[in-house]
Amino acid sequence: MSDFKFPEGKEVPRGAVLPAPVKENRMMITGNWRTDRPVIDHEKCTLCLNCFIYCPDACWHLDEEEEKMVWNADFCKGCLICAVECPAFALTAVNELEFEDGVVRLEKPF
Amino acid sequence: MGEVYEVTIWARGVTQDMEGRHLSLLIANSADKDGKFVQAWDDYADLPDRVQVPLRKYARISDEDLEMRYDYENDHPNMSVIMDDTIVKGINVLRGMPKGGVLVVNTKRSPEEILKFIPNKDLLDAIVCVDANSIAGAVDLDFMGSEGGVETVSVGAGISAPIVGAAAKATDRLTLESLVAVAANKDGVKKGYETAQVKSL
Ligand code: SF4
Ligand code: SF4
Repeated sequence: MSDFKFPEGKEVPRGAVLPAPVKENRMMITGNWRTDRPVIDHEKCTLCLNCFIYCPDACWHLDEEEEKMVWNADFCKGCLICAVECPAFALTAVNELEFEDGVVRLEKPF
Repeated sequence: MGEVYEVTIWARGVTQDMEGRHLSLLIANSADKDGKFVQAWDDYADLPDRVQVPLRKYARISDEDLEMRYDYENDHPNMSVIMDDTIVKGINVLRGMPKGGVLVVNTKRSPEEILKFIPNKDLLDAIVCVDANSIAGAVDLDFMGSEGGVETVSVGAGISAPIVGAAAKATDRLTLESLVAVAANKDGVKKGYETAQVKSL
C-alpha cells in the first residue's frame, strides 16, 4: 500500500480498505425477518452501487460479467434501506408472499 | 398430570412483541376463567429487541395441575398461531405438532394461499385465517408493568384480540365468552371470531 499514489485531487483521509464479505454465516440467517423484499428494475438501475454500500447485511453485489446487481434472499432482512437510498428509484418493496422463492423455513428463529 | 394442550405463537420482534405476549396471556387468562390450569410465557432465547425477527410466545392449558415447570418451549404444539403471515416462509411453523393440529394465521389472504407455504400441512385438522390488522386498526402501545410480567391493563387491545377470537373458532379449548371477558377490545375478539375463515383439512 505504501507505494500507492492517489490520483491528483482524489486524496482521501487515512482509513482502511476491507474486502467484501465472501462467506455466509449459515447459523445466523436473517431472511426470515423479511415481510417485504426489494425488487429491482434492471432497466432503471444505473449500477451506482448505493444499495451495495448501504445494505447492513451485504445483500447486494455487482455481477460484473452480467453487469447486474444480484440480491441475496437468504440474508436480506427486509429493512428496505436500499430502496430508500436508491437514487434511481429502481427498488420497490413487494410483500414476501407474492413470491414462491426465498423460503428459508428454519426450525428456530435463527 | 393429564393431557396438556400446547399453543405456540410466532410473532415479529419489537412491532409485535407485546401483542404476542398479550395473545398468550389472553389464552391463559380465559382458560383460567374456564377453570383450567394454565401457563403463559415468552421464549427466553429469542431476540425480541430486533425489528421483525421471528419470536415465540407460549401457552398451555390442562384439566389437571401442570407439572411442566422448567420446560421453556412447547415441543408438541397442538395449535400454532402466526401473527404475521410472512413468517410461514421463514419458519417451520408446525415443528413438533402432533397430527390433528390447528394453524391460525393473521393475514389478508385466504387459507388456500397460506397452505401453499405449509409443506407439512397433513399434520393439520384445520387452518384459520383472520385479517386482524384491519379489525384492530392502529392501537396506542401501553407498556404496563415490567416486561409484561405483571401486565393487567389493556391486555388484548390490539391485534391479539381478533386473532384469539379466530382461534376460538377452531378449538373447543377456548371459549368465546371467557375471551371476551378477559380482553380489552371485546368487539375485536367477537369480530375476529365472526370473520375468521376456517378450512377443515
Ligand atoms: S432490504 Fe435491507 S437487508 Fe435487504 S437488501 Fe435492502 S438494505 Fe439489504
Ligand atoms: S442503488 Fe439503485 S441504481 Fe444504484 S445499483 Fe442499487 S439498484 Fe442500482
